[in-house]
Amino acid sequence: MKSGHILFLTWCIALGAATNASAAEQSDEGMVSSRFSLQGFGTLGIARSDTDSAQYVRDLSQPGGLSTNWSGKIDSLIGLQANYRFNDELTGVAQVISRYRYDGSYRPELSWAFLRYDPDPTLNLRLGRLGTEFYMLADSREVGYANLTVRPPPDYFGTLVFSYVDGFDVSKTVPVGHGLLRGKLFAGRSPETTAFDKNVSWDLSGSLLIGGYIDYLNGPWQVRLSHDQIRFSNEVPINTLLGFEVLALAPNLSMVDKWSRYDSLGVVYDKGPLQLQLMLSQTSHDNDDYEDSKAGYAIAAYRIGKITPYLGYSKVKSTPIEFPPATPAFIASIPSASHSDQHTLFLGGRWDIQHNLDLKAQVDWMHGSPRSVFPVRAETPAWDGNMTVFSLALDFIF
Amino acid sequence: MPIWPRLLFALGLILAPWIQAEADMVVVVNARSGVERLTQDDVINIFLGRYRQFPSGLAALPVDQPENLPEKARFYRVLVNKDLPEINAYWARLIFSGKTSPPYQAKSAAGVMDWLARNRGAIGYIERSQVDARVKIVLELEP
Repeated sequence: MKSGHILFLTWCIALGAATNASAAEQSDEGMVSSRFSLQGFGTLGIARSDTDSAQYVRDLSQPGGLSTNWSGKIDSLIGLQANYRFNDELTGVAQVISRYRYDGSYRPELSWAFLRYDPDPTLNLRLGRLGTEFYMLADSREVGYANLTVRPPPDYFGTLVFSYVDGFDVSKTVPVGHGLLRGKLFAGRSPETTAFDKNVSWDLSGSLLIGGYIDYLNGPWQVRLSHDQIRFSNEVPINTLLGFEVLALAPNLSMVDKWSRYDSLGVVYDKGPLQLQLMLSQTSHDNDDYEDSKAGYAIAAYRIGKITPYLGYSKVKSTPIEFPPATPAFIASIPSASHSDQHTLFLGGRWDIQHNLDLKAQVDWMHGSPRSVFPVRAETPAWDGNMTVFSLALDFIF
Repeated sequence: MPIWPRLLFALGLILAPWIQAEADMVVVVNARSGVERLTQDDVINIFLGRYRQFPSGLAALPVDQPENLPEKARFYRVLVNKDLPEINAYWARLIFSGKTSPPYQAKSAAGVMDWLARNRGAIGYIERSQVDARVKIVLELEP
C-alpha cells in the first residue's frame, strides 16, 4: 500500500497547485509562448455499493472493485503531462498516470509518449506510445474534469482494457459541406498486462491493434463510426485459472492469433447548456472464451449556472456461444464467465466549483440477470445481478 | 419629476454598459492576412481547434484574452453559449489526449494586440474601440 500513500500525497500537492493556480499566474511575457509546459489532471473519488455479493469495477483492467465500504480505489487517479514544442510542426508529449492497476498497485505508468508532426493544420501524424480510443471520448476516459459523469459508463466502456499502444496514428480533416470530415487510422502493439481474474493477470504485450474512425462535425453535432480490432499474441491464462490443461482439451479456447473486433457508432449533440450523447457498439470474438456482445448508452445533461445535472442509461448484453452437442458441459460453460446481461440507470450532477475544479455526485442503479458476471468481479452465489452504487468525485486540472 | 422616468433613467444607466459591451466585440485578423470575412462556424472551428486554416490555406493562430478580463468569458458565451469551465473541460480532453492545443493565452489586452500585429495568421477578439490599422474586422459578433 506504499504506492497508495504516495498517490495520496501527490493528490494533495496537485490539489494545492490547482487551488493556487490563479495566484501562480505569470506576468505577461509578450509573444513567445514557452516551448515547455507541464500540466496535470486528477480525480479524488470515493464510492460504495449496496451489496457484497459482487464487486463493481470501473473497467475490467481492475482486479477488484467496490463493496459496501466506501473506497477510493476505482476512480482515484492522477496524471502528469509534459509537452515540448520543438517547432511549429513538431511536438513531443509524455504523460504518466498513477491509478489502480491490474496487479492491485498504483505504480505509475507511461500512458502517452509520442512525437507529433503537423505538416499543415489539417494533417497530423503521431509516433510512439498512444492512448487507445476505440470509442468516441474514450482516449480521455481517465480525465474526469473533461467528462460529465464520474466515470465512463462501465456497461459500455468496461471491456476496454487496452489503454495504450506503441505505434502510430495519422489523422486528416477536410471541410465537407458546412461541416468537417475527419478520419484517423492507427496501428500498434500493446505493451500492457490486464487483470484476468482477481489474482490472475493476462499479458497482452505484443498483441497487434489496428483501427480507425470517420467523424463528421457540423455545428453542435459530432457523429463517429469506428472500427478497431486486436490480434492477441499471448495465451489467455485459463489453464492457470482452472488449474489444469483445459486448452489441450478444447483448442478453440486458445486466444493466440485470434482477432476480436469492436465496431461503434457515436453521436454527440452539444449546444450551449445542453449535451446529449448516444453510443452503440458491437464486439465480436474469433475465440470461444468470450461471448459476442452489444452495448449502448445515452446521456442527457443540461447546465444551470454552475450545476449540470445529468441522466443516463446504459445496457450491455452478450450472446451465449453455441457448442457442438458432444462438447463436455464444463467446457461449454467456460465462456459463460464472459456473460453480460444488464442495464444501468444513472443520475448525477457536476458542480463546477472553479475554472479547474469540479465536484460530482452520482447514483447508479444496475439491474441484470444473476448470470451477468462479466462486468463485475468476485461474484458469489448470492449475486442476483442487481446493485446500487453511490459515488462522489473531485476532479481537477493543474 | 415623476418616479417612472427617473426609474427608467436609472435602469438605462445600469443596462447601458452591458448593452454596449455586448454589441461591441469584433473578431479581427492581422491586416496583412488577406482574409476578408469569416463565418461564425469558421471562427468556432478555429478557436475550438477543429480546423485552423483560413480559406486561403494560411494557418490560423488564435489568441485568447486574459482569463481575468470579462472579454474571454463573453466571447465564448456569444460564440458557443458556453461558460469558461466548459471551455476548460473541452480543452482538458484535447490536451490530455495529445491533440490540438488551445489558443495562445495572452497575459494582457496589450498582449493580444501584439500577437495580432506580429503574426500574419493571427486571429483574435477585441472591443471595436481597440481596432486600429494593424487589424481587420472579419466578423461582428451578435450578442
